[in-house]
Order: sequence, then C-alpha cells, then structure tokens
Amino acid sequence: MKCTRCKIPAVVALPSHNAAFCKDCYLLFAQRLVERAIKEHQMCDHADRILVAISGGKDSLALSWQLKTLGYDISGLHIDLGIPESSPIARQYSERFCDKYEIPLHVLQMTDLHLSMKEVKKRVKRPICSVCGQVKRYFFNKFAVENQFSVVATGHNLDDETSRLLANVMRWDMDYLHDLGPVMPAKKGFAKKIKPLFRLSEFETANLCFLAGIDYGYAPCPYSSKASFPVYKNLLLDLEDIQPGRKIHFYDGFLKRGRKGFMPMDDEDITVHPCVECGYPTSTGQCGVCRLRSTMS
Amino acid sequence: MHSTQEKRYDYRITVSLEPENQTLVFDRLKTVLQLLNRIGRKPGRVLVIRDGQLLTPDLILAPGDKILVRDVGSKG
Repeated sequence: MKCTRCKIPAVVALPSHNAAFCKDCYLLFAQRLVERAIKEHQMCDHADRILVAISGGKDSLALSWQLKTLGYDISGLHIDLGIPESSPIARQYSERFCDKYEIPLHVLQMTDLHLSMKEVKKRVKRPICSVCGQVKRYFFNKFAVENQFSVVATGHNLDDETSRLLANVMRWDMDYLHDLGPVMPAKKGFAKKIKPLFRLSEFETANLCFLAGIDYGYAPCPYSSKASFPVYKNLLLDLEDIQPGRKIHFYDGFLKRGRKGFMPMDDEDITVHPCVECGYPTSTGQCGVCRLRSTMS
Repeated sequence: MHSTQEKRYDYRITVSLEPENQTLVFDRLKTVLQLLNRIGRKPGRVLVIRDGQLLTPDLILAPGDKILVRDVGSKG
C-alpha cells in the first residue's frame, strides 16, 4: 500500500478517507483535520488562553501535542480522581508528557477535596460514571473561570461524539441533542468548551500518538465496565466496517442539518443562578457538586 | 563430541496482545490481515507494530516476525 500523497510505502490505511499515508503525510493529515475543526467552528485563536483537560490517555495527549505544535497558548489541568487502580498511572503519564513538551500542568487531587471516586462510589447510588463526569466538568470549568482561561479544550474524538449522538437519538433526548456539538459557547459563568479532535477517530488519534512518539497510558478505569457508551461505540464501529466514512457523515450531517431541529421551541431558557455555596452556575439553589460534598461529609 | 542438533531458527510468528499482555504463536501467517482474522481483531481498531513500525493490513509477514497488536479503544 502506497501513501496517497507522496507514493512511498504507507504506514496507516484509512478506508473512511479512501486514503493511506506514510508517517510524515499522516502527521500533516491529522494536523489539517484539527486545523479544519478549529477554523470551521471558530473554536479558538492564538490570543486565547486554553486550558486542556489532560487525563493521560491518548486523546488528551494527542490534543495537547497538536495544539502546542500549532503554537496555541495551552496549559493542562489533570484531575487525580483518587482511584487506586488507575489514577496514579494516569497522573504519571500526564506529568511526564507535560514535562517533556514544556506544557504547564496543574493538578487537582480529589482525595484532598474529600471527593475521591473510590469513596464517592461507596456513598452515592447514581452511576459512578455520571457523578465522575459531573465532578470533572465542574472543576475544569471552575478552574478555567477562576484562572482567566478563555477556553477549555477536551480530547473528545469522533467515536466519543458519534456514540453520544446515537445514544441520545435512541432516547430522543431533546435537551442533550440541542446541546451536542464540538463547541459550547461561554455563557453565564461557564467557560467556552471546544473539542478540536472531533474529526479524528480513536484509531486516528492512536496512530497520531504512535507516529508523534507520544507515550500514553491505557490503564482502564475499573469502574467503567457498566458505562453504556461503549455499546453504541461498537455498533458504530461495526457500521463503519461495512460503510467506511459513515461516522463522520452522521456527525457532520447532524451539525449541519439535524441539530437545528432540536432547538427549544419557545424562548424559555433555564434560569441559572450562582450556587449558594460555591458560586458555580446552577439551576437549583445548591449545585450538584456541593450537594455531593454534603453527602460525603 | 559434536552435537548432531544444529541451532534451529524459529520460523514461527510471535504475536503480543495489548493491553491483555498475552502472547500467541502462529506457524503460518501470510499477511497482517490474515493475522487479525486469526485473532478476531479488525484493522481500524488496533495498531499493528513490528520493530517499532506501523503495519498496514496488506503487508506480508516474514517467518520469525515479532508483532505487537495494540487495542486503540478507550476503556474509560
């Protein structure tokens, strides 16, 4: 198999793009997908201070590497979730990576805040993945707002986005569907959020890491076995095998033609107030994380 | 005294699976795609690595190759 661009032997085959690439052309291809996502959706510019959510996995490290390579002003925030089986490994990968590429890294340790997921799991009846996601979103946003970052960037890839879209379609969840997309504008105490890797599949970010020499961790979260998104992810991967390119068409089509159908019918907007405890925007008196803290104390 | 046994070259293909940390050995495998079929994996879901280089599914394997197959799926 030859590289589609320069005709030397290829190292990555991408049926969804009807292409194959050698190392250098693949790195250029991946860079252009990120540049296209940023430009098409006006995600950020070089004046922005960008906070990257760094977990230590391939997506967040590929994203940080690519944004740094493109000259953006980035800093990382790693949330140490306090899960004994996986958190120390994830933290090590994050610290080693940021050290190597000279990216400032901030670390928030959930154990210090009495919110380690090991303890939360024992005390809370809701699915742990849902609570963990809520805690991470809270601290990424809070840290960004309090430290004057204009944008929070996350490493969500095409598989994450399409599986989430399919899951919400299967439930016809109108609220989630109208909010779904690669950019969430800043509003009412929430920082702007962007997903510059949304055009790259998991396979493509893994190839990017390998070819860029990025050493990433793959210690799986021991609590994630009951998460529902992998079911949808695997369904879409099977579909992609039969119809290469289906995932990006599904997502692009939703953004261009589908999403507007899920916009709220009336002008009614959920009223958001600062949380009475911490000031974080919430639709109730006390935000979800402060309620969790009360449960934990 | 001379040994009648000559040093044997290992013509088998050794495949290491990540993250399972499992090693499999195959006598005959022609291509990367054939290898993936034998281990029940699909091309767009794993990286296939030989001597620190990525391999495309059409690539022909050689006797004695040591192959690493790394799953790319996030596990939370």
